[in-house]
Amino acid sequence: MGLAELMPAIAEMTWQHLVMITVGLILIYLAIAKNYEPTLLLPMGFGAILVNIPLSSAITQIDPGTGKAVEGVLNIFFDAGIATEVFPLLIFVAIGAMIDFSPLFRNPSLLLFGAAAQFGIFMTMVFAALLGYDIREAASIGIIGAADGPTSIVVASRFAPHMLGAISVAAYSYMALVPIIQPPVIKLLTTRKERLIRMSSDNNKRISKKALIAFPIVITIAAGIIAPSSLALIGFLMFGNLIRECGVLNKLSLAAQNELSSLVTILLGITIASTMTAERFVRLDTLIIIGLGLFAFVFDTFGGVIFAKFLNLFRKEGNKINPMVGACGISAFPMSARVIHQMGQKEDPYNYLLMPAISTNVGGQIGSVVAGGIILTLVPLLA
Amino acid sequence: MTTTIQQALFVAGVGIVGIFAFMTLFYLLIKALDRLLPYDEEKEEEE
Repeated sequence: MGLAELMPAIAEMTWQHLVMITVGLILIYLAIAKNYEPTLLLPMGFGAILVNIPLSSAITQIDPGTGKAVEGVLNIFFDAGIATEVFPLLIFVAIGAMIDFSPLFRNPSLLLFGAAAQFGIFMTMVFAALLGYDIREAASIGIIGAADGPTSIVVASRFAPHMLGAISVAAYSYMALVPIIQPPVIKLLTTRKERLIRMSSDNNKRISKKALIAFPIVITIAAGIIAPSSLALIGFLMFGNLIRECGVLNKLSLAAQNELSSLVTILLGITIASTMTAERFVRLDTLIIIGLGLFAFVFDTFGGVIFAKFLNLFRKEGNKINPMVGACGISAFPMSARVIHQMGQKEDPYNYLLMPAISTNVGGQIGSVVAGGIILTLVPLLA
Repeated sequence: MTTTIQQALFVAGVGIVGIFAFMTLFYLLIKALDRLLPYDEEKEEEE
């Protein structure tokens, strides 16, 4: 009896499998040792190991005896939860239940930065098209710039499911790397004088409970009438927020924020890993996608900062916007706001940018979902 | 210029304009909600 019969997994192991197992170990290391998005990167890392051991029963295999496919549990999860978009949409309910929109009511004009900082998505999409990707793949790569994992998963699973693994890894890794990616880009684009700008905001303004309850309903109806294709994304986010704000579903709100979020995140992470097989992942494409994801994040930051500088051309002295705050228009919440506040304090310990940064960051959460909805609406019209 | 690049430029152009339009609409809705449903200390405490 030879090695192939005794230990078929070893006999069938290739260097590509070993590379993917190493990638899995690196993701687990980043999650545990560096605390980079551990809730997602750890299941993804472990899943990458699970699916890259040859003949793994976690994924679908062909039974050599009968020639029939024996379905693996991760493929069943994938078909039920990702292909149908159920998992990412449930995550949106959880995120909606976690978001407090009252900072936006205090500084509603900062909502526009949630639009400007999505610039990287569209820029990257054009760049990906220049590199030869078709419009569906280019849009899926560009959406990494939303800095919003569930939106990236929804768009990629619909337009380019073969790229889902690489896009998810890129999206979640860069979200975790916001403190490393954003500061040098911001410093490059701003002068010290600009970084010292202090912003006044009405932090003590009280917001009516009725307005906070009406907000998710009104936004859902408005978005639905204009772009029905965006309703799944925006609607589930706003549904989660309504549960939070209505005041009569506190138990459900807490369950959405904790149990639902944790459970679906585990399933989402390990299921995405089912796409991280050596055959799909160990390719030049993966490196290009990860590189383009970084490009998208850099140009999101660029878009937000430059938009703030543009607005400052028309604003009077004393009423200017600190351009660093523009960079918070991405969806990585609250990390981006925290990074900007810390950068502001480094320049001037008495400059408190946290409140405007939080308002902008909440706007970024809405902006990224809207960007996903727009892409889901436009791309099928062309492809 | 290939069709894909033209399509990408179209989606980028309409997308950027679209997202600003959406966010401007949301801004106006927030302003309207804030005006129609202002914070009323006595009523909020009753509720």
